[in-house]
Amino acid sequence: MQTLLQVIGLIALVAGTLFSILGILGMLRLPDVYTRLHSTGKVSAFGTVLLLVAAISLTPLSAGKGIVLIFLILLAAPAVSHAIASAAYRSGVAMKIGQRDELKDRIDH
Amino acid sequence: MEQVLSYTVWLALVIHVSLVLVCVWRAWRGENIIDRLIGLDVMTTLTLAILVLFAIIERNSIFIDIAIGLAALSAITSIALAKYIVDQRMF
Repeated sequence: MQTLLQVIGLIALVAGTLFSILGILGMLRLPDVYTRLHSTGKVSAFGTVLLLVAAISLTPLSAGKGIVLIFLILLAAPAVSHAIASAAYRSGVAMKIGQRDELKDRIDH
Repeated sequence: MEQVLSYTVWLALVIHVSLVLVCVWRAWRGENIIDRLIGLDVMTTLTLAILVLFAIIERNSIFIDIAIGLAALSAITSIALAKYIVDQRMF
């Protein structure tokens, strides 16, 4: 049981670090504000949550607080990404690789 | 197994600190203001991950408490700053 928990923690640790690296790489390499926002959403939604899963399975003392923090992050991170994307659209940041814009005649600036 | 786990946690800590430095550079030299806001938001998220890694290293759950406070504060800060950028006023 102890070895199983340690293996789960190790896998979650490596996967969370990999998601963080890929998110930051996308923030540096992608061409547009909206695509960069799509990439950095993965850092909080997968990277930190997987690190918290590793913390719960590796240390026996913080299970309740870790679950509370996982729910808080899964509730707050999509709201923050949506708020930033809405701010970018309403303040007139142009899309570089988008083909059509269906939101243009439905919103009042 | 303990040895491998300890090395992996320290390696993850070093990687996250260097990713925070990348985000600081991004928030300093962004293309426009939304880019800088994205850099700031990702920086607080990575600080959260560093606190969780400290909780694993020290085996002390007080860092998870600090991470809960930081998560709530950073979410409200990012939403308020996004609203301020659009409307040019806070309320």
